[in-house]
Amino acid sequence: MMFIQHIKELYKYRNLIWVLAWGEFKQRYKNSVLGFFWSLLEPLLFLTVLYVVFTNIMKVQVEYYPLFLLLGIIIWNFFGRSTTMGLNCIVGKSNILQKVYFPRDIFVISACITALLTSLFESIVFVLFMIVFRIPLSLNILYLPIFLLIGFILVLGTSLTLAALYVFYRDVQFVWLVILQIGFFITPVMYPLSLFEPNILRILVLNPVAQLIQMSRDVVIYAKPPPMPALGYTIVISLIIFIIGYAIFTKLESRFAEEL
Amino acid sequence: MKVIEVEHLEKVFKIPHEKRNTIFSSMTGLFHPNNYEIFHALNDIHFSIDDGETFGIIGKNGSGKSTLLKLIAHVLTPTSGKITVRKNVTPFLELGVGFYWEFSVLENIRLYGTIMGLTSREIDDKTEEIITFAGLEKFRDTRLRHLSTGMQLRLAFSTAIQTRPEILLLDEVLAVGDLEFQKKCFDAFKKFKNEGVTILLASHDLSSIQRFCDRTLLIHQGNQIGVGETKDIISHYEKM
Repeated sequence: MMFIQHIKELYKYRNLIWVLAWGEFKQRYKNSVLGFFWSLLEPLLFLTVLYVVFTNIMKVQVEYYPLFLLLGIIIWNFFGRSTTMGLNCIVGKSNILQKVYFPRDIFVISACITALLTSLFESIVFVLFMIVFRIPLSLNILYLPIFLLIGFILVLGTSLTLAALYVFYRDVQFVWLVILQIGFFITPVMYPLSLFEPNILRILVLNPVAQLIQMSRDVVIYAKPPPMPALGYTIVISLIIFIIGYAIFTKLESRFAEEL
Repeated sequence: MKVIEVEHLEKVFKIPHEKRNTIFSSMTGLFHPNNYEIFHALNDIHFSIDDGETFGIIGKNGSGKSTLLKLIAHVLTPTSGKITVRKNVTPFLELGVGFYWEFSVLENIRLYGTIMGLTSREIDDKTEEIITFAGLEKFRDTRLRHLSTGMQLRLAFSTAIQTRPEILLLDEVLAVGDLEFQKKCFDAFKKFKNEGVTILLASHDLSSIQRFCDRTLLIHQGNQIGVGETKDIISHYEKM
């Protein structure tokens, strides 16, 4: 019940959420010459490096490997970017927080939206690649909005946890950076999970980001429906992470203004 | 109607001797517990404010005026006691909260206006008025960082007074700016007062309290010394 009330309150603030998110998005590119094109260039450069390494040295055999890789990079970047921005958003906005009241999770939501905007912008590169490679589209692509929603719930839950903890423990930032770095290697961004032995695989598939990346590849590049158990698992785990994050955040938020 | 009721309000700050804000120091801290300094910022504050009243809060520096306003603004939570606020609160605790230095004047009006609770249509309608009032007609596309402090302040103020407050919290904002700017502030607040907005003014400037406030609360080191007619309270304060 309290949750529904809270959603209603957030709805009243939708304009603020959007203005904050959009402002932050513009702020990121304010002082760079290439402006928004950095967001296109960054994944492209990264893609080139990984592509060269993995096709020449590691000899990965994957159909449409550049697309496979690029989609992995975009989704992983979304996860990494939104959680680091989310982690920072309460501490970074302490001046507002101490002077004006509105629901504190607005900052976290708008940070995640900013990250989402950046990722959607990056996806333009991917769409161009799809056209160049003449990938046939199937109706399975309709799953994509669902994945987007699940992904957003997942990063929101993670960010809520991190943002709240970061107010009290400043080393959360460093711990999270290490986790993200490890995560990048154990998530199938650069390679298919099938390279692993079944024992390790059983653990790696528990990672919801890995599942999201694999399912997105299925529906976008390979024109097949996602495996239903994987989809069900990802929805459940994302909701659990969101509920935990929301609970931690609500428990700690009244102490934010004093602690900062 | 009582729009604000404060009952037996108490606010205690725990100030640690040594701030622990890493996981590591919290873990090592388990073995030698940290000492806290208990600071009673407010003790047993008890008053209520009628709709449309202008209410003053006076006291020396560090007496708890700002803490009280922040509690009413819902920024801080009380340690014990109860605060009931029946209308929307617009806090002017600091001007220019949430300004982006890299953004232009126009963009900042949009951001700051939204933070202060204006809808996007209201901002569209009032942008010109805000710019004229602040005297920044030539600078609408200038980045905020290139404006002088005075200009930034005028911009913040002109944007903030476009809100339609029901309850206005003012914390010594009047003390900044030159005479002309202060006069503009006074005029704006007079207008709000005439429109029936409830105003809480915290200040140690007795003359502005005397001019505006119907009733006044005097606090000293977090304790409520008295609440009542502004005249009486001020004479009491002067004797202290």
